[in-house]
Amino acid sequence: MEKKKTFSMNYYLRYLLFGVVMSLLPVLTNAGVIKTSWLGIIGGTIIYTIAGLGLNLLLGWSGLISLGTAGFMGMGAYISAYVTGDLGLPWELGILLSVVIPLVFGILIGLASLRMEGLYLGIVTLCVSEVLRKTFDELEPVTGGFSGKQAKYPKLLGIFELDQKGTFILLVVIMVLLMMLTYNLANGQLGRALHAMRGSQVAAQAMGVSLLKYRLIAFSLATAYASLSGALYVHFIRFVYPSTWTLPVSLVIMALIVIGGLRSVFGTFIGALIVYAMPDLVLKNIPVIGDINGLSYVLSGVLIILVVLFYPGGVINLFYKLQSLFTGKRSAERAVETAAGVEENRTEEGHE
Amino acid sequence: MSENNLSMATEEVLRIEHLSINFGGLKAVDDLSFEIRDREIFGLIGPNGAGKTTVFNCITQFYRPTEGRVLFRTKEGRVEDLVGQPVHSIIRKGLVRTFQNVELVNELSVLDNVLVGAHIDFKSSGLAQALRLPGARREEKKMREKAQEVLEFMGIAALQNEVAGGQPYGVRKKVEMARTLMCGPKLIILDEPAAGLNDVETQQLAESIHQVREKYECTVLLVEHDMRLVMNICDRICAISFGKFLACGTPSQIQSDPHVQEAYLGEKEDEA
Amino acid sequence: MSILLQLLLRSLETGAIYALATLGIIIVFRTNLMINFAQGVMGMFGAYIVTVMFQKVLYAGATASGMAQTPALLLSILAGVVGAILIGFIVDIVIIRRTKKVAGTGKEIITLGMMMIFLGITPMIFGVDPMRLPKVIESGEFSILGANLSYNSLLNIVLGIGLTVLLFVVLQKTKLGLAIRTTASNERTARLMGVPTKWVTLFAWALALVLGTLAGVMIAPSTSVTLNLMDSVQVNAFIACVLGGFQTFYGPVIGAYIIAIANNLLAYYVSSVWGTQILYVLVIIFIVFKPVGLIGKKITKKV
Repeated sequence: MEKKKTFSMNYYLRYLLFGVVMSLLPVLTNAGVIKTSWLGIIGGTIIYTIAGLGLNLLLGWSGLISLGTAGFMGMGAYISAYVTGDLGLPWELGILLSVVIPLVFGILIGLASLRMEGLYLGIVTLCVSEVLRKTFDELEPVTGGFSGKQAKYPKLLGIFELDQKGTFILLVVIMVLLMMLTYNLANGQLGRALHAMRGSQVAAQAMGVSLLKYRLIAFSLATAYASLSGALYVHFIRFVYPSTWTLPVSLVIMALIVIGGLRSVFGTFIGALIVYAMPDLVLKNIPVIGDINGLSYVLSGVLIILVVLFYPGGVINLFYKLQSLFTGKRSAERAVETAAGVEENRTEEGHE
Repeated sequence: MSENNLSMATEEVLRIEHLSINFGGLKAVDDLSFEIRDREIFGLIGPNGAGKTTVFNCITQFYRPTEGRVLFRTKEGRVEDLVGQPVHSIIRKGLVRTFQNVELVNELSVLDNVLVGAHIDFKSSGLAQALRLPGARREEKKMREKAQEVLEFMGIAALQNEVAGGQPYGVRKKVEMARTLMCGPKLIILDEPAAGLNDVETQQLAESIHQVREKYECTVLLVEHDMRLVMNICDRICAISFGKFLACGTPSQIQSDPHVQEAYLGEKEDEA
Repeated sequence: MSILLQLLLRSLETGAIYALATLGIIIVFRTNLMINFAQGVMGMFGAYIVTVMFQKVLYAGATASGMAQTPALLLSILAGVVGAILIGFIVDIVIIRRTKKVAGTGKEIITLGMMMIFLGITPMIFGVDPMRLPKVIESGEFSILGANLSYNSLLNIVLGIGLTVLLFVVLQKTKLGLAIRTTASNERTARLMGVPTKWVTLFAWALALVLGTLAGVMIAPSTSVTLNLMDSVQVNAFIACVLGGFQTFYGPVIGAYIIAIANNLLAYYVSSVWGTQILYVLVIIFIVFKPVGLIGKKITKKV
């Protein structure tokens, strides 16, 4: 978004710094500053962030709804567990296959989506997710059925065998790389094309944006991110059950990007912290309240509705607001809510 | 595509031949023919519901005409029939349009909205963009400079970093016009460019349409209700009513044409 | 032959359940222009109210006072319906009224948020243990042409068709129905023409909840009352809407029965394990070739 030269340095530095800070967490656990159990939770947050980045490209940038995230995460997890476990192939190959195979399905859905009104898309992706979930139950030779499937921590290049902390750092590295890639994509020609497609399909087409091509790109990216995050999940948590990959996971990932901030890369991570990590790290430690079942769902649900109704920029916008208090600047990125206000009026007209 | 002879006189840019389109039995456009010459400002007028926007949509392929041809001389100088070509391929030939109700991306900055107009001119691959390879970065920078130039030309360079959705209507219309200039168009189609503008803004619009033609060496086709504007800036005008051709000629010819007067009878000339 | 008839009868019963859930989705869609992804969990919540009323309040009291089980169950269902109506009002007044100006996918996201709230609030109120809900007619069956049908199934079949017919009569013949149909075709114009659209949406949400609750009560005896009670009903109801098209009220109902029949036939004749998946894939392929569904027209945006 920014045009100044200094910013491009600034920008790499920002992500690098973020990565370094995150990588320090295992060191802090060694020093006894934070609990070891936190690593698992923050690791989960990273995995959800990766899937969330993909869904953000789809829902945030392109305005296409998908409830299939959990299905593709599961697919990635099972494929990687099968390839590395049953077939005994290297971890890298497992990751590759667990991204490529779901990608084929993602492309098919993208193709199908072109023929559908936007409102059908949520339903169709829900069906796909349901088909995948049932397949996880039934395809026992690959998925292990209801008893689930085991996997190991990654062994990089066949030499470096990682433990939990090593895997955590690997997760951080992959997440930061993906955040940078996403940021670059979203702020270049491709991102603008997705924006244009969301803003107005007719105008996008008139400007030469092929709906086929960009819907396919959006679906492929979302699928690839989701299945990658699933594959990382299975090598971090080290087991996988079919009952994990149900609609609530898709809902949580949608919740985190909406709450964190649609169309925001850092917002996705902040959303994951709020939706995924906060209940485990904070709520559970509060007496009485922490014992209430389902509290985190209710909080997420309420936050989603509040954000959509009153604060479309998401929580990340708070940070930008604070920042602009200090710098006194008001740039395009930081005034999302004005734009959203205008959009509201437009749809009102659109119904006529 | 080339079963018929695709011939046009050398000074012509666009040639509509026997264009018709039906909507469930209703003939929205009926055997319409006209041609537009290079560097001309051409107006399409008609009473409400005459099918003006439908003609636009047929030219830009949002609607498939039932019959007829839309011949266009592309940037490369080839003559092509646009009928049946994908909507998103039309801009590559040098034909770009605006919309009646300004279709911008509200959440993007003014500059980024203009950059959407340069979509087809980006050559670097998605991967190169994702990795910010030097080529992709240079290209992005070049396009940004070009977009800034266009905004400068439209007189709204100061607003380039503002969110498009927050801008007043007049500015949004200018942004949309700026967006059409990014692709180096041969023919710009403006759908009611003066609708919703006040007198001063309309005056400015007339000037900037002239300037666009001079600076970007292009042809302009516009649909407009504001008769004063049309009569003022158009070199030639085609009048239609209920999808049928009424008359074509210079503003003064159109004003004195009995068919046109009849079609507009009962309607004030400058209702807008 | 008797097997086929048996399958068809069973399909009529599941079809009735899908049809009710489908009508709940479609009435909200037509009056609010939003796909309500929370329809399933709302029905689940209603079914919980009924079950808890029955298990914890009425049945306990009934056995003590010698009252029969069936009246207690019917009273519980009545309580569930009243509860559903109240929740429908709350949902509309607290949330939905504020969403009128939300654009694009925002409305769907809000219903997904509502889904999370219901998923979270249910174990908070009712606990996490699965519960059982008996059939309204506990036992007894009869046979026609070699196919067996329990009285309770017959009740469900009749209830499904009866409620659907009743709803269509209301939609076509009453002033309320006219108001709903006007709102469905264009909310804004309807409001300007003096149709009390606020009451229409209020009614629509209450009705959606009642239909969901009844569907939940009908499916509950065949499984146990848990958070996942309505999962497959919801997916099948959505598929039915897609198949029948969102433009009419009757299209999705036809879709619901088609889905039920196809589901049972595929499960019996093709594969009990893969039948449902095959059906879903077939419907998705169908939608690709006929995007507006069986009954419906294409809406083109004017530019």
